[in-house]
Amino acid sequence: MEYQEYQLRETAAKLLEEEKANVVIGYGLSKTGKVVPVFITRPEDAQKLVWNSECHQNLVVFLTRPEVKRLGKPAIVVKPCDARAIVVLANESQIMRHEVYVIGMVCEGVNEDQGRPSSRCAICYGHYPQNVDQVIGEAEDAPKDLSKEERRKTGKYQRIEEIKALPPDERLAYWKREFSRCVRCYACRQSCPLCYCNRCVADKNRPARIPTSASLQGNFAWNILRAFHLAGRCVSCGACSAACPAGIDLNLINLTLANAAEEQFDHLSGTKVGALPLIGTFSESDKEDFIR
Amino acid sequence: MSRIISLDDLRQIAADFIRAGGLAVAPVPFDNDRVFFQYIDEEGAGKIVLSGWLKAANTIKDFFFPRHEKLFSYERIHNDVVLADAPEFGKPQLLFGCRPCEAASLPILDKVFGWDYQDRFYQSRRRMTTVVTVACHKSDDDCFCSSVGGSPENTEGSDAILYNLADGTFEVRPVTERGEQLFEGKTSESTKTGKACPPPPVRFDASKCKTWMDGHFDSPFWNEHALRCVGCGACTYLCPTCHCFDIVDEGSYAKGNRVKNWDFCQSALFTLHASGHNPRPDQGARQRQRLMHKFSIYPDKFGKILCTGCGNCTRHCPTVLGVKPFLEAIEEQED
Amino acid sequence: MEKTNTDQTFEPKIIAFVCNWCTYLGADLAGTNRLEYPANIRIIRLPCTGRIDFNLVIKAFEVGADAVLVSGCHPGDCHYNAGNYHARRRWILFRELLEVLGIETERIHFSWISAAEGAKFQKFVTEIVDKTRALGPYRGYQSITHESEER
Ligand code: SF4
Ligand code: SF4
Ligand code: SF4
Ligand code: SF4
Repeated sequence: MEYQEYQLRETAAKLLEEEKANVVIGYGLSKTGKVVPVFITRPEDAQKLVWNSECHQNLVVFLTRPEVKRLGKPAIVVKPCDARAIVVLANESQIMRHEVYVIGMVCEGVNEDQGRPSSRCAICYGHYPQNVDQVIGEAEDAPKDLSKEERRKTGKYQRIEEIKALPPDERLAYWKREFSRCVRCYACRQSCPLCYCNRCVADKNRPARIPTSASLQGNFAWNILRAFHLAGRCVSCGACSAACPAGIDLNLINLTLANAAEEQFDHLSGTKVGALPLIGTFSESDKEDFIR
Repeated sequence: MSRIISLDDLRQIAADFIRAGGLAVAPVPFDNDRVFFQYIDEEGAGKIVLSGWLKAANTIKDFFFPRHEKLFSYERIHNDVVLADAPEFGKPQLLFGCRPCEAASLPILDKVFGWDYQDRFYQSRRRMTTVVTVACHKSDDDCFCSSVGGSPENTEGSDAILYNLADGTFEVRPVTERGEQLFEGKTSESTKTGKACPPPPVRFDASKCKTWMDGHFDSPFWNEHALRCVGCGACTYLCPTCHCFDIVDEGSYAKGNRVKNWDFCQSALFTLHASGHNPRPDQGARQRQRLMHKFSIYPDKFGKILCTGCGNCTRHCPTVLGVKPFLEAIEEQED
Repeated sequence: MEKTNTDQTFEPKIIAFVCNWCTYLGADLAGTNRLEYPANIRIIRLPCTGRIDFNLVIKAFEVGADAVLVSGCHPGDCHYNAGNYHARRRWILFRELLEVLGIETERIHFSWISAAEGAKFQKFVTEIVDKTRALGPYRGYQSITHESEER
């Protein structure tokens, strides 16, 4: 990791010197030593970049923020899961892929906020960054990727199975408890690289599509809406879960849909350049057993 | 001589309060190491935890100025619209186990909700509530009460303050008459006295920061330092002193409610005009607003800082921003 | 899990989202042919099943529906060529989400009913009403709405 950090700094300085990028979006340290996003515009500041197990945020969210776009041509530091979000953004025509220089880090897994091991890393389907412009780190250092079957046996999937095994009213009671804590701060949405809409349907008020209130009803409507707008798109980066101040395990909901997309349509979001959006296309042979 | 009470007896006070027809709010765990302030029932009183955590995953303002509150309901009957006011908050409420920096937000909010317009919704809840605070046993990197006039045993806004004696008992120090009444006859005499943790180091000079802000409205500083802000509401919704709200109608043509919901200044929509013009066009302007409201505008008007230094805005921010990093950076500015 | 409703006076409220070109005409045909079906169903006509936003299903439950019916043209027959294929893919995923959330998917019915299938419409609607009557009122989602009012 230390050598990766050294290489990263060298790379960033060079990119800025040669003006291949005007800003490097990467990880740095806050005054209190916490890992935070930094925006490096001068080669001499490249020394401020860090790479360690606390680099859990997904920086891809910044590629579509107007204040960051104003800084010029970006280079960005990504983990393999974050890199998949770039693929989706390009597939959905939100960025011009050739206008972004993507630095992919070989990743051994990160911790979520406050040292909690990140739940997403346990189900990671690729520790070696794909579809990036440059890889930092050695392939040998990347942990072995889990197969689909192995992934199904790990924590989060097991948790989903546990929930599914409950009777419907207990499932509902579980989510009522969880969603009752939601304050509608939209940290989940704002941290998600794929929630890039200028105006979210949740903010529409003439007429309102869903209740804006942080009532139980509004919170169910919101969380269902958020999850489903990411169906077949979510890349399981975990940024939303990590951001939620109320500690709602949004991963569980996203994974349910990602799982369904993989099982039913063999679709793993962000793994294919040029893939058409899962919802928004169709096949005449889509299989179901519930339409009469 | 001091007065002490056991955790079980404290829980019993909450349970008795509920049995007598009141509402009790207390920190209750929701996963391994996090707590949430919520309404509890008699049984829930047994789950109250007053130690082992520093800050809850929500704020106490939710129980004075709820995230969602009905103002009145409307119903269309034939050709008439019938309105019905939301009933006045009429139950005694007990708030258990908040931190001094949270309780200290109450006198601050009192000013906002009782200045030109008397907000009966806030005021009735406030009037009906007894606040029992627990002095801090530790502080973290994000705490800065001591930089804005507070301390780990500040009693502003509290009716009583508890000190954890770490042996399953708490020292009780009533602050107001109401606090005295709550504990009357419930404590025993002891020679042990509690101690709060030392105050966190002073991290900036608030009045110096104010002067700098007042003179640097158009500085590029704001956008530079706001770059990592993602524009969510975590800071404001977890802040005990932020108090912006939006009024919306919810329901159908036939019937519904007019409700008051929290709103947050870090959203681009907050100031977006119908014309499409936005007077706060970027995140720098939005963060400047939050900082200046807290450290310049409100102090000019009410003679107090609109921040208790609780650090929640930094602690709960997805990118560890909030007011503190700004103030520390302002402190380092040369001109 | 078998739930049976014993309240004979319960009249289920069922919201049907149907497309303009097939199922709505099928319902119309049922009407002109004097094929009687229960009045528990409230029909909402939309241009196409592809237009039926998943939010509408949630909205229906929010306002107190006990069951929801979604119906449109048979595959291959969509007036806009592919709206129903889009809808089908969406529902496949949406049902998975609702399952995990504990929303009773046996209260959400999907069908393809063409403009010529008045009899199928009658039969299907009657079945749904009977089934919902047996399930009883949808207390689960109604409790969400109710608790929201209380706070
Ligand atoms: S929904 Fe959450 S996990 Fe999925 S891409 Fe967005 S932030 Fe990442
Ligand atoms: S981050 Fe959590 S609390 Fe905030 S809106 Fe999303 S789910 Fe709700
Ligand atoms: S400061 Fe942090 S919590 Fe506040 S809006 Fe910005 S990103 Fe969200
Ligand atoms: S601004 Fe931040 S530190 Fe100050 S009271 Fe609000 S949340 Fe606490």
